[in-house]
Amino acid sequence: MSLAPLDEPAVAPAVNRPPGITRRQALAAAVATGVGVGAIRLLGGSMQQIASRQAASGTDWISPLSSESARVMHLLRRTTMGYNATQLEAALSDGFDKTVDRLIETKPAEPPALAVAYTPGGRFAVTDLQQWWIGHMLTTPTPFAERMTLFWHGHFTSDYRKTADDTFMYWQNLTWRRMAMSDLRSMLMQVTTDPAMLRYLDLATSTGQSPNENYSRELMELFTMGAGNYAEADVRESAKALAGWQLPQPDSYATVVVDKNNNVTRKLPVYSGQKSGVFNARRAYKGSVTYLGKTGELDTQGVIDRILAQPATAPFIAGKVAQHFVTARPSATYVKSLGDTFRRTKYDMKSLLRAVFTSAEFTSDQSYRGLVKSPTEFMVHTARALGLSLGSKIVAGSGSGMGQSLFDPPDVNGWPNNEAWISSNTVVERVNFATAALAQAKGTLPSASDAVHKHLDGVLSPQTARLFDEAPDDRARWFILLASPEFQLK
Amino acid sequence: MNREVGISQLKRRDFLKAGLVFGAGASGLAAGYAAVPDAFARAVYAAKKEGMANDNILVMIQLAGGNDGLRTLVPLADPTLHDLRPKLAGPMVSQALPLNAQYGLNHNLAGIKGLWDKGKVAIVQGVGYPNPTFSHFESIRIWETGDPTRRQVDGWLGRTLATSYDSNGHPLTGCACGATDAPGALRDLQATLTVIQNQKTFGFTGGSEVEAAVGALYKGTPGIYGALFDTAIATATETMATLRTSASTYQPMADYTDKVKLVYSSKNQLAAALQLAAELIVTGTGVKLLHVTLGGFDTHYTELNRHDDLMGYLDSAVSAFYQDLAAHNMADKVLIATWSEFGRRPRENASGGTDHGAAAPLLLIGDPVHGGLYGEEPSLTSLDSTGNLKYAVDFRSVYQEILSGHLGADSTKILGAPFDRVSFLKAPVAV
Repeated sequence: MSLAPLDEPAVAPAVNRPPGITRRQALAAAVATGVGVGAIRLLGGSMQQIASRQAASGTDWISPLSSESARVMHLLRRTTMGYNATQLEAALSDGFDKTVDRLIETKPAEPPALAVAYTPGGRFAVTDLQQWWIGHMLTTPTPFAERMTLFWHGHFTSDYRKTADDTFMYWQNLTWRRMAMSDLRSMLMQVTTDPAMLRYLDLATSTGQSPNENYSRELMELFTMGAGNYAEADVRESAKALAGWQLPQPDSYATVVVDKNNNVTRKLPVYSGQKSGVFNARRAYKGSVTYLGKTGELDTQGVIDRILAQPATAPFIAGKVAQHFVTARPSATYVKSLGDTFRRTKYDMKSLLRAVFTSAEFTSDQSYRGLVKSPTEFMVHTARALGLSLGSKIVAGSGSGMGQSLFDPPDVNGWPNNEAWISSNTVVERVNFATAALAQAKGTLPSASDAVHKHLDGVLSPQTARLFDEAPDDRARWFILLASPEFQLK
Repeated sequence: MNREVGISQLKRRDFLKAGLVFGAGASGLAAGYAAVPDAFARAVYAAKKEGMANDNILVMIQLAGGNDGLRTLVPLADPTLHDLRPKLAGPMVSQALPLNAQYGLNHNLAGIKGLWDKGKVAIVQGVGYPNPTFSHFESIRIWETGDPTRRQVDGWLGRTLATSYDSNGHPLTGCACGATDAPGALRDLQATLTVIQNQKTFGFTGGSEVEAAVGALYKGTPGIYGALFDTAIATATETMATLRTSASTYQPMADYTDKVKLVYSSKNQLAAALQLAAELIVTGTGVKLLHVTLGGFDTHYTELNRHDDLMGYLDSAVSAFYQDLAAHNMADKVLIATWSEFGRRPRENASGGTDHGAAAPLLLIGDPVHGGLYGEEPSLTSLDSTGNLKYAVDFRSVYQEILSGHLGADSTKILGAPFDRVSFLKAPVAV
């Protein structure tokens, strides 16, 4: 492969060419590789003024999404954890619409049971939990379920530190996966009574007499409605209405030696299986509350139903889903239309996700490479693309420097996305992961040239194309691909 | 003024029109305001060498989650405290390190108390802003942008970088130590900054060959994230080169190991982050504005042990940092300031913790400060309608003193207006 000469019109680039740019300049910016697809186009408007500067190229990717196969790959990149050649072939032969059906309708494969999760006292290494989940991401036949589980892990977030019980975190992961594509009403009840969440946002210690506001606030601000759509008094009132939930009672206690030298033992709780929180009416608030405009007695289901009756709720969730799967900046009209669908279908996640994937916005030119892969997606995608039985250990251990450590989000708002994944620290760590993954990949790698088509749609920047062409062997070519900006995007 | 083409005249409006700023989307949440940080820094090249007013340095320590002011600077003689906090008040009052008859520092702040005794700690009481929000993310944004009306998208330190320093040519002028992404306070479309999580692992494991390939790979990257990617890599490689030099000359003159006996597990590495800050400062990398974060202050639950842990953490890290700077004769240049999105509710809750509050004290530490208590004592008997402490000092008054008095920057330009002065500096720069 070689670079096309600058003035050879072999590629068909320069869509929306702004006035004042010569054809030659446009071609120079849009030089593609021998792979034959125009890689980039000039950005219009004022961007052109800084196009001459060093770092702002003033160019955009040329979207290949007019072709069905590119749309299928775009869909897989955004909804799975990456794919190998077999998975890609299956999706390509199904086509876009059938693949959407399959993603949405296939029942999630359950991860294997984690034996250590029933350690008395619920304390074991969080790395066991991380590796267990990543191991499942690497091998699951239903990766969309893992994408959704990860989405909800960032949305209805909890961390193992505050939760201080890894068994609870394990259960939460199982619950989020099972409920991921159900309806918001039943999800919110499961979230509210989830043991890890009861700990993480303190509802387990809240009482009607002395309510803790933590869960009550975040339920509205971060989980359902967004700030500005309720009053501070609503936080206080729903804190009363929600009080009364407690952690589940253990099935038994095990006597465990905690200090061998001094023969100190402790009785630690043991659970025989997954449980959710229990309601203790004696700790609940007695009396009426004034919440979101109505006064009367209110229980947890009543709080949830009142939230679902608010016009802010559907667009809030729809907007977050759109930001996660479609574009960093969804338009108000788009979010409203998705929100309308969501509310009309009684907050059905399948209907919402179907509306998202089949919307024109999902496959618009602007949407192409408009999202940054999260660190976990980037790493698992790398492993799947290389066809590596890459240890889940290296993936679990590498996320933190890129800004994502599973079960350990930075705060109650979960993980930020897109541009927040890009800093001097995180990009270096991504490159280092590509180096490490290739060092682990023994034997023959899949063809790098094939990968340009299968994972990057043949759309490369001039720099990536040049370095790819100059690379001496497939290992080096794979490095260029995995470390490239193209591969960080989806 | 270096007139590099007419590009510095490009208006922010034009960037917005070009759709390059991620404004608050429909579900903008808190992250929405976080405009592309150093995205077009290199494109929008504007040299501002004349902005370097002095060689003073600022280190901001974020106490993330809402630090309990009443457990930081403890009222010793107010009986109301015991009514409001039947569980928490007893030990915090009896163990406090008295500063005077009325106030004492948390008992785990012994190192900072030592600095207080030497006149190197100023505490501004009752800091807040009007109509406080109790949302972490909204309040963090307000503190980061310095704008309670929530219109501003750039961080106050980012604006300082952009208006006062040529950070474009010197990406280490602003640095977030111990972080993986840029803190909102340092973000600005026209400023470049460095983010280093851990110096020991900051570098390309593939060595110089990889560094060169990646440097070539990330040039002229297309798309809306293109410039951000390119700037991140360029900043990283330049910083690595600087760190190679600084690491070989820096000798820490203090013990940065965490000596705190923790009750709860923590991901905090404040001491490591401050050690990196010290290295950058004492080796003369030209760093001016540094930001580090200590998380975990959202103490709704079992606050007694959790908050004591954090105070101990803060104390041991800051003490080592000050000692190191002093041993390198740099203590007179460096102002250390804490900030937190809010204080906590004076009345404790059923979980042995406290909910989100409002006004709280800020600590200013270092040789540049004139030690003592500033601001107004917040009243525990005259709370606002939400049961919170009323603020007496606008947080931007503190920013103003830092900007104009310590950094010699144009604070009115950066903050948009002048504020009442709080004169906690020994010898503020005359601007």
